[in-house]
Amino acid sequence: MTRRIHPSVVGAQPFQVATREGIESPMFEGGEGLERLEMALSRYPTKQAALLPLLHFVQEKKGWVSPPDMEEVATALDLTPAYVHSIVTFYTMYNKHPVGTYLVQVCTCIACHLNKGEEVLHRFLDEAGTREGETSEDGVFTVIEAECLGACGFATAVQINDEYFEDVSPEKVADIVGELRRRSV
Amino acid sequence: MSDLDGGGLDTVTLTIDGVEVTVPKGTRVIEAAERTGVVVPRYCYHPGIPTRPAQCRMCLVEIEGQPKLQPSCVLEAQDGMSILTASETAEKARQSVIEFLLVNHPLDCPICDAAGQCMLQDYAYVTTQLKSRVDEPKTVMGRDRIADDILYFADRCIICTRCVRFMRDVAEDDSLVVAQRGHKAYIDTFPGRDLDNPFQGNIVDVCPVGALVHEDFVFKARAWDMDATAGICPGCSTGCNVTIDTKENQIVRLKPRHNAEVNSYWMCDHGRKHLVMSNRGIRAEVPMIRDGDSLRATDWPTAIAWIAARIRQAGSNGGLGIASPNSSNENLFYFSRLLSRLGIDRWEYSVPQGSTASLPTVPRLELRADRAANGKGGELFGGTRVDAEAVPSPARAGETIVVLEDGLAEAPDGFGSEAGFFLYVGSRLPDAAREADAVLPIATFAEMDGTFTNFEGRVQRFHRALQAPGIARPAWMVLARVLAALDDLEPVSDVGAALDAMASATAAFAGMSWQGLGLKGALVGGDAAAVGAAPAEIDG
Amino acid sequence: MSWPHRHELETTTLLSRSQGDESARTLAGWVGTGGYERLRQAASMEPEAVTEIVKDSGLRGRGGAGFPTGLKWSFMPKDDGKPHYLCCNADESEPGAFKDREILRWTPHLLVEGCLIAAKAIRAEHVYIYVRGEFFPYTKILNAAVTEAYEGGYIGNDIMGTGWSCELTVHTGAGAYIAGEETGLMNSLMGNRAEPWMKPPFPAQAGAFGMPTTVNNVETIATVPGILEHGADWYRQWGTEKSPGTKLWCCSGHLAKPGNYELELGISLKDIIFDVCGGTPDGKKVKAVIPGGSSTAFLTGDELDCATCYEGMAEAGSSLGTASPIVMDEDTDIVVAMRRIAQFYAHESCGQCVQCREGTEWVVKILQRIEAGDGKLSDLDTLYELCEQMTGRTICVLADSVVFPLRSSMDKFRGEYEAKMRPSAVAVGG
Repeated sequence: MTRRIHPSVVGAQPFQVATREGIESPMFEGGEGLERLEMALSRYPTKQAALLPLLHFVQEKKGWVSPPDMEEVATALDLTPAYVHSIVTFYTMYNKHPVGTYLVQVCTCIACHLNKGEEVLHRFLDEAGTREGETSEDGVFTVIEAECLGACGFATAVQINDEYFEDVSPEKVADIVGELRRRSV
Repeated sequence: MSDLDGGGLDTVTLTIDGVEVTVPKGTRVIEAAERTGVVVPRYCYHPGIPTRPAQCRMCLVEIEGQPKLQPSCVLEAQDGMSILTASETAEKARQSVIEFLLVNHPLDCPICDAAGQCMLQDYAYVTTQLKSRVDEPKTVMGRDRIADDILYFADRCIICTRCVRFMRDVAEDDSLVVAQRGHKAYIDTFPGRDLDNPFQGNIVDVCPVGALVHEDFVFKARAWDMDATAGICPGCSTGCNVTIDTKENQIVRLKPRHNAEVNSYWMCDHGRKHLVMSNRGIRAEVPMIRDGDSLRATDWPTAIAWIAARIRQAGSNGGLGIASPNSSNENLFYFSRLLSRLGIDRWEYSVPQGSTASLPTVPRLELRADRAANGKGGELFGGTRVDAEAVPSPARAGETIVVLEDGLAEAPDGFGSEAGFFLYVGSRLPDAAREADAVLPIATFAEMDGTFTNFEGRVQRFHRALQAPGIARPAWMVLARVLAALDDLEPVSDVGAALDAMASATAAFAGMSWQGLGLKGALVGGDAAAVGAAPAEIDG
Repeated sequence: MSWPHRHELETTTLLSRSQGDESARTLAGWVGTGGYERLRQAASMEPEAVTEIVKDSGLRGRGGAGFPTGLKWSFMPKDDGKPHYLCCNADESEPGAFKDREILRWTPHLLVEGCLIAAKAIRAEHVYIYVRGEFFPYTKILNAAVTEAYEGGYIGNDIMGTGWSCELTVHTGAGAYIAGEETGLMNSLMGNRAEPWMKPPFPAQAGAFGMPTTVNNVETIATVPGILEHGADWYRQWGTEKSPGTKLWCCSGHLAKPGNYELELGISLKDIIFDVCGGTPDGKKVKAVIPGGSSTAFLTGDELDCATCYEGMAEAGSSLGTASPIVMDEDTDIVVAMRRIAQFYAHESCGQCVQCREGTEWVVKILQRIEAGDGKLSDLDTLYELCEQMTGRTICVLADSVVFPLRSSMDKFRGEYEAKMRPSAVAVGG
């Protein structure tokens, strides 16, 4: 089901979401994928500039970007798969492996470090029952350390999918994790 | 360069390390420096790769009066600029680049192919950056096969991106990329897909260190064990200029040699690899003459005299010549001379064919369909080109057959058995040649000096890189001896004299000389006489 | 004004008027308070006239570099016939900075209006707002605003019936601090790795897609409508001669009232930290402050009596940067803090230049070793030399940015480094 997007913001759609609808291959030869591709191409003078918007789309639908996905994106934009691979590995937000329903990114950069960021990270790992970078066995949480999220005055900042959780102290972590577990059911 | 003197172009004059130089407007300082004899150390800059990211930071120079150093590979020379390539600041900066590169670089020199021909080693010595103050464990990255014959050692890599940019900007094949970023960056192909480009071997040449190595060369030879000889690749009719690396009388590697008119800085993989088998196989090492049912080994004087006698006996009845298009110009000249002395008015050559491949941004450089070095020579010396699969024309009974180096693969059984006289001149002894009356052993192109003529008529010198086995000699020398024994020509003992004889007798080569051709060659029918003045390339 | 705390110091509301007020996000709310009238005004002016006003105001780029905005706009060609682009840098990733997202989430229309006015000044036909990928909640708000503005005729063809047209596209990144560097941003926009390039070519000659481009920070652009409306002199009533105007301060670390505060430039840093932000939450002493985001030099707790303008902060031995003080109390381990700062830069290095790619990670490793108690005095000499080797040698200033805090932390807190070292190392000096 295609939701209505204005062309001017086609390259700015949220791509770290809990509900991943999936999408059939070939992604960009019809349906929503083709719509998104054509809309993106209309905003830039070159095809290559639509690369990040298309990669966002793939991750929005699937939760991560696999090598076959990279090949499809490459074909749609007349790029080589190797080039797309270079872009996907350069930027940290493209998941190179599937992640849990909730991707929990705990900032431990300087301002959050000063406000117990590392402790918040460890509490999340404990509560979610997983190791850093790995997905919990129930598939609900992947917890990673993040660099500055741009919410320094509201330390510790935690990004969970497309939401910002701020002023997260170690004591609040259990409740957040509990709430997310409830949502995921 | 001649277009500099006397203007017509805008020029600028600047000073580099105290030496004034005038260069065309737009020239970058790194190239202007080379014109004064200063080679500024560099990694990411390569004269044959059009893109210059200026990211290695090795070529930083000081503009006198300015505190900030600038990368000379992109800095445009300006009128009145004063550049110091070796000021204290510039040298410290260069030294620090080496120090940073050596922080994680593995001490692989004892097992690394690049040792002795490594730009990291070289500059570490030049900058005297030889002591490490790293107390931390090095990052270890591992090794990957990125093509079926190229290995990538990630922790040796200095991320200069020459390989990436060669593939993308010269070969126009965007299959090699930098993956990840920062200190985790490495060179990669698309996961699961190897490089597959007919020119990919060039990435090993441009790699300044031992990060990229050919699998069929790895551990074969140390830089200091090898001799290097200027040659011409015989893989196709392009005639790429190459350097032949040899060790213990075997060819171990071919690398391209720069020639702006032919192959720029590059060569194709077929050229690199097709000689791998050339070191093998049984060679004809001594002259042989017929003795009843068999061929008997003998010495040169005996063989030449015997052949001359048999030829006089056979008379000028005509017959057939067959030559290999991999024969040098001088070889073909004397071959055709012998044929006319024998009254043979026709000779054939066939050129093996193969698929083509071109390097998009270097139009002249192609792996051409004609897979032989001197098909053009065959044409110029009056040969008739026949199909590669064609069966050689039969000789009528009593006629003379002279074969130069051809493998006679298509020859039918009993080929030559009806001939009045069958002379085989070659480096090997194929089955069909066992019917010959005489076999004269010759040197391959790698074992002699000579010239080839490429597809567009460029005559280029190649030089002896190997010792011929036994008492084999160059064909031109051998055939000239036969002619001398027949009272035809003076014997010729050096290639210069052979070429001179060829040039005075053959219009296409008029005015050419061994000295005059130098290392860049000259076009047939051109103003070769003007090339006769020794150009700068000879004797350094 | 400020968010989320209020305070007593006189402030302005040039940029922060609507913080906390969700109605300003909507087109109706924005237009209702006079929004987009400045755009209507600019659309009928000559580009040079718009640039002149901004030049006269003395507005300086708010992304950290402080380059005069009007001057930057004047670099754009006037008559070249090529498409021009404006890139709005919303890639806020500098540790300590969190002001641009405030503008995005409270007054997205202010940003849109500012972008279009800037576009008029530089003859741009397309504005790209490059937002960092992580900012999903704020991008959603911006997207809604941009959509409304397009549908209302405030962007696109024949803007507000003035006959002038300009397009605008919101483009999100995917996680790279270096995409905040202007050439890195343009590369990322074009679908490349966000790798900075050597200048020349300068953006105004050949930037995005090889065309003349200007890159401006969100806060800079958000200031423009106010300047246009009230004039250059009005803007100069605040701040100093060389640093006129107001600034959105981002205060973080050990503070009682961290957050966003709009303050005029030039007031004392001490006042900001203690009066406005209430000092440390539990009354502990302030040991150190990094005043302008992590790319600026440390100041000790005794050095905070400095004027918070570009020239004042430079005199104090640091820099204004993004005006993002990170406050560290007396219990902070400076070595650990510095290690964490260095880790950020090592993680974000694009990897092109040798000094940055290898140097930032080496600095991290040395600091980790010192932190673990395995350091020696000569490590400090090494670090000082690395500081020199990583300054002014690279394509962009990421390497320089780790040097500022590193060098100053060793200058001013050497004792903390030495305290971690092996006793024998300190005793024999080595």
